[in-house]
Amino acid sequence: MSSHPMSRRALLRGMGVAVALPWLEIMGPSQAWGADTPKAKAAPNRMAFIYVPNGKNMVDWTPKTQGAGFTLPSILEPLADLRNDFSILTGLAADKARPHGDGGGDHARAMAAFLTGAQPRKTDGTDIRLGISVDQVAASRVGDEVRLPSLEIGCEASAMAGNCDSGYSCVYSSTMSWKSATQPLPKEVNPKLVFDRLFSGGDEKDRARTEASRKSILDVVREDAKELSLKLGTNDRRKLEEYTTSIREIELRIERAAKLPPVKAPDGPKPAAIPEKYEDHIRLMSDLMVLAFQTDSTRVCTFILANEGSNKPYPMVNVSEGHHDLSHHGNDEAKKLKIKEINKFHTTQLAYLLKKMKSVKEGDGTLLDHCMIAYGSGNSDGNAHNHDDLPILVAGHGCGTIKQGRHLVYPKDTPLNNLWVAMLDRMKMDVTRLGDSTGALTGLA
Amino acid sequence: MLCFFEKLGGICNASAALLVLAACHVNIGPAFAADANTSVTDYKSHGFPFLQKHCLQCHGEKKQEGELVLNGFSDEASVLKGRKILTRALKMITSGEMPPEKQARPTLPEIEGFKSSLAAIFERADRTAKPDPGRIAMRRLNRVEYNNTVRDLLGIDFNASEDFPNDETGHGFDNISDVQWFSSVLMERYLAASESVVNRAIVVTAAKPPHRQQHGQYMEPAGEGAPKTKFRPINNEKPDSPIHTGPLNVPYTVPADGEYIFKVRAYGKVEPGQSVALAMLVNGSGVPQPANDAEVGTLFGAALKSLRPFKILKVAEVKARDEKSAEVFEVKVPAGTHLDRIAVALLKPTDGKPVPALFVEWMSLEGPLDTRPAFQRKNLDCPPGKDKLAHTRDVFSKLASKAYRRPATNSELDRLLKVVSDTEARGEKWEAGMQLAVRSILVSPKFLFRPEFDALSADPRPIGDYEMASRLSYFLWSSMPDDELFALAAKNELTKNLDAQVKRMLKDPKSRALVENFAMQWLQLRRLSLVSPDEKLFPKFNLKLRNAMLEETTLFIDSIIREDRSILDFIDADYSFMNDVLAQHYGIADVNGNRPGRKYLKPKGELIQGSQFKRVTFSDGERGGLLTQASLLTVTSNPTRTSPVKRGKWVLEQLLGTPPPPPPPNVPELESGAVLKGTLRQRMEQHRANASCASCHARMDPIGFAFENFDAIGAFRQKDGEHPIDPAGTLPSGQNFKGYQDLRTILKEKKAEFSRCLAEKLLTYALGRGLEMYDTRSVDRICDALAKNTFTFSTLAIEIVRSEPFRLRRGKEDAK
Repeated sequence: MSSHPMSRRALLRGMGVAVALPWLEIMGPSQAWGADTPKAKAAPNRMAFIYVPNGKNMVDWTPKTQGAGFTLPSILEPLADLRNDFSILTGLAADKARPHGDGGGDHARAMAAFLTGAQPRKTDGTDIRLGISVDQVAASRVGDEVRLPSLEIGCEASAMAGNCDSGYSCVYSSTMSWKSATQPLPKEVNPKLVFDRLFSGGDEKDRARTEASRKSILDVVREDAKELSLKLGTNDRRKLEEYTTSIREIELRIERAAKLPPVKAPDGPKPAAIPEKYEDHIRLMSDLMVLAFQTDSTRVCTFILANEGSNKPYPMVNVSEGHHDLSHHGNDEAKKLKIKEINKFHTTQLAYLLKKMKSVKEGDGTLLDHCMIAYGSGNSDGNAHNHDDLPILVAGHGCGTIKQGRHLVYPKDTPLNNLWVAMLDRMKMDVTRLGDSTGALTGLA
Repeated sequence: MLCFFEKLGGICNASAALLVLAACHVNIGPAFAADANTSVTDYKSHGFPFLQKHCLQCHGEKKQEGELVLNGFSDEASVLKGRKILTRALKMITSGEMPPEKQARPTLPEIEGFKSSLAAIFERADRTAKPDPGRIAMRRLNRVEYNNTVRDLLGIDFNASEDFPNDETGHGFDNISDVQWFSSVLMERYLAASESVVNRAIVVTAAKPPHRQQHGQYMEPAGEGAPKTKFRPINNEKPDSPIHTGPLNVPYTVPADGEYIFKVRAYGKVEPGQSVALAMLVNGSGVPQPANDAEVGTLFGAALKSLRPFKILKVAEVKARDEKSAEVFEVKVPAGTHLDRIAVALLKPTDGKPVPALFVEWMSLEGPLDTRPAFQRKNLDCPPGKDKLAHTRDVFSKLASKAYRRPATNSELDRLLKVVSDTEARGEKWEAGMQLAVRSILVSPKFLFRPEFDALSADPRPIGDYEMASRLSYFLWSSMPDDELFALAAKNELTKNLDAQVKRMLKDPKSRALVENFAMQWLQLRRLSLVSPDEKLFPKFNLKLRNAMLEETTLFIDSIIREDRSILDFIDADYSFMNDVLAQHYGIADVNGNRPGRKYLKPKGELIQGSQFKRVTFSDGERGGLLTQASLLTVTSNPTRTSPVKRGKWVLEQLLGTPPPPPPPNVPELESGAVLKGTLRQRMEQHRANASCASCHARMDPIGFAFENFDAIGAFRQKDGEHPIDPAGTLPSGQNFKGYQDLRTILKEKKAEFSRCLAEKLLTYALGRGLEMYDTRSVDRICDALAKNTFTFSTLAIEIVRSEPFRLRRGKEDAK
């Protein structure tokens, strides 16, 4: 028994796990978007990227007809109520996920190339290299309007041992967001920490003291870094720069937060830990994404449901074998059916998220009207490991810039990155190229 | 996670078999150790002609398959330049992947000649090359290292890095600096953690000492017979009865060591002319200098003997004679008393007079009087008469030097003092300033990183003693250096005493870190917390069993390090550790390895009961060595069944250092419609469609199938469902084995391969970078030393520390 007072954290731990956040209903939007507020602002566009691994059973995913009014294949059935809020895009390819002489490693490449359109350097650790991802391009331009440039969340932590895929470092198959070619961004798996990141700040009295303290500390370490930098070799100096950049970013964030209206943390119990059940974990993270958008804490989010190559079993839909093992189905019908069940489980969770977004009123519409959600995988068929004909779904109306409810078929090998450029366009970011894009994807409006 | 195609296996035709034979013949052992028996062959006669004959049609001027060009390697100079490519090419040739099936196969002598001629060139170059210790990027403390360092620096032991992002893994380990990045998320976590840590080390306002009091009837001995009066008596139970009650005691759990105040309120009842005295006692098995027989004899009470050992802290005469005037007696309990109970007893009247009576109202314990954390108590108090500013500077001089792992500079100390003075200027207390300054130490790059500085010249230089101290301690303890290492570094005597220090550090309990960090990653056992065996097929698998599995392997590896055994014991040893849950899983009854329900092969030993782990010596060969431990057998299985391919690959990769190459990118579809029958083995052998798949699987599958006697959670079995297990097999070298016990013996004989594999992995972990070509020489030296010293673990650790990459650092990059 220790003699110091119980920390807030310890208190909350005892409250167990909150599965659904109850305050989503009672919480009004803290930023009122709409004509009847003094500062009449149109709701901004948000983008989110959701990743599911190991490809899909494509025959149950791709609709048989093009255009509007297609029959929902079985994997898409859970989204029936949201027919007019999403579209399926067929024919997109992530060419940089193909080997191009690098041999095995399709899982690492699939996730690495997904948001970047770049080929990962095949290495177990030394000299990792990829390219900037679309979400980070957006984050860097969101500027002073939000507190957090972007949010990276997931439900499966990075691998804990060994290499992950044929000589590629584990970072490639577990990270979707890359700030630069050499800086991957870790995803947050603990809902409590996501919550803290969104709402930490304390009350005003605390804040002044905290800021003075922080300033003291940062002043010291900035000097320490300067002294250290003078003595280091070139390579190490570059590593130290990551440190000094992080300090600068934190200072900027504090400055920015001071200028923006304060965000009130919702009342009620906050998430205390990672939920034991996978579907509870996914839903809790989904709730947090909705909350983050609703409070305009951020406008860019990436969400990895499971790492590429994940071998998780799905007992909740009666699949006790590992996902990855099954995805090498070798044309075994029984295995393919099980893959379909897993895919359907994932789209059920997507339906939950989209419905939640649709239930949040914003201005003269809903949050879903003002979002662009991309959902898919860098692998098409898990057995063939092909990276064309990717399963891609786009939901949300993008502030009126996307016409939904259709099955769009593109010419073979149309770069997936063209979709990202089109999305960046809709965020009014002046970006014409990203990775292996050849232009902005047409046909979405 | 690797892609395995388990449908294919077995050797399907004679030419593939020959290929595989050739492959294994040349593939065992270090890649380029020149065989003493073959003469050094000339590259011009055996090297380049080989390329011309077998490779250049597809990898030369006309065609460049897979973007590989080999026609430039016509002489020694070009061979040296293209060492990496040629090493890879050689691996492909010796494993049988190249030339591809359709081309003519090179003969065994041709392959041997090619290999030796290359080996000769590389060896000559290595022997004459300048030592290249390689480049280690600046290392940052990972999560485990952060926790341990905070523990050793401030005495705070809790999972401070719990919220930090996961460490990335590179080359199999999570302490590789090339995959360590810094992000603002991480920085925020460091800032938050520094606050949690420092609040546990320094408090601004100390909490009031806890005070606990116990009254009358609730004092021990308690129970229904205890008098329920306000003041509880110590006296004759009944008049004329020889039984005297007492002492009265109260059990207390002391939260922390320190000084306490023990009080008791009482009055006495005596015959006229008599006096009465009480003794205040503290009882506990750890109480220093407990009362001896003579001292105990001065007291009495029926419960006196059972209260031993106790110490008499104070004896006092009780003058009060009624409740109203009852006195309070007080005594200080010094630090280090470790009491379990406080007690009060009656003194025996020395002059034969009748026994008096004592009436006790309550006993109380207050403390620890100093509730401040241990770190603060030991380090922050300013000695009387000393200047506060000078004292503050001294405190930081000690702390910052330890935190930065070398003597702190004046400018660093000035900066820290400024934090304190600025805080006080804001109206806060000195302790608050100290908190803030210590926080800034904990997020300083000088604490979070382990910087090493280049020499001014281009040549490699030995690292300094302070740098060596950090390398040593983070290698063997995953934590900061201790006082002895710092002391040696200060006198510049560390590098002279490396052997002795390594031996000392291995014996220190902190070397457990090698088991928990190095070994658990080497054996890939961190995945054990993620496996989910199917509940219906394996109902026995639960959290208790999983924890027991992990603990067995942890204790086993720890014993090899601590007892300095041969590393070959990893593969096969006659002992292990288990608790009741694991022993049941293995079918073992007692510590001599006897099995319940079967004839005892050894004399009966202590039964394995309870959750505590006991050392078990096996009585038969069913278990023994890492390969038969449930932890590894589970982590190399699938949720619903065993995976011979995963197990075979594990042995090749983690024990022999000869991992199979990744599967080819386009694995052909299997013909649909073929019905798969029989055991897992039979089903896999039915898929022999592709010879190139078969050749790699011939290396993995026989090993994995040998362990089919262990199911997917490591339990022994003779049958898989209704099919009996067939564990016999043949290695690509041609060696036959009847089952896993044979195979285990064969593997234990592969001393060179295993020691090289382990040396490479431990060296990677020790350095924090992947190994390169120029490290081959160092690894060779380590392996030679191991062979000469019966492969003891300490030899391995010492040789690594003595090696060039560990002791030296490359010269200035720009000067190159």
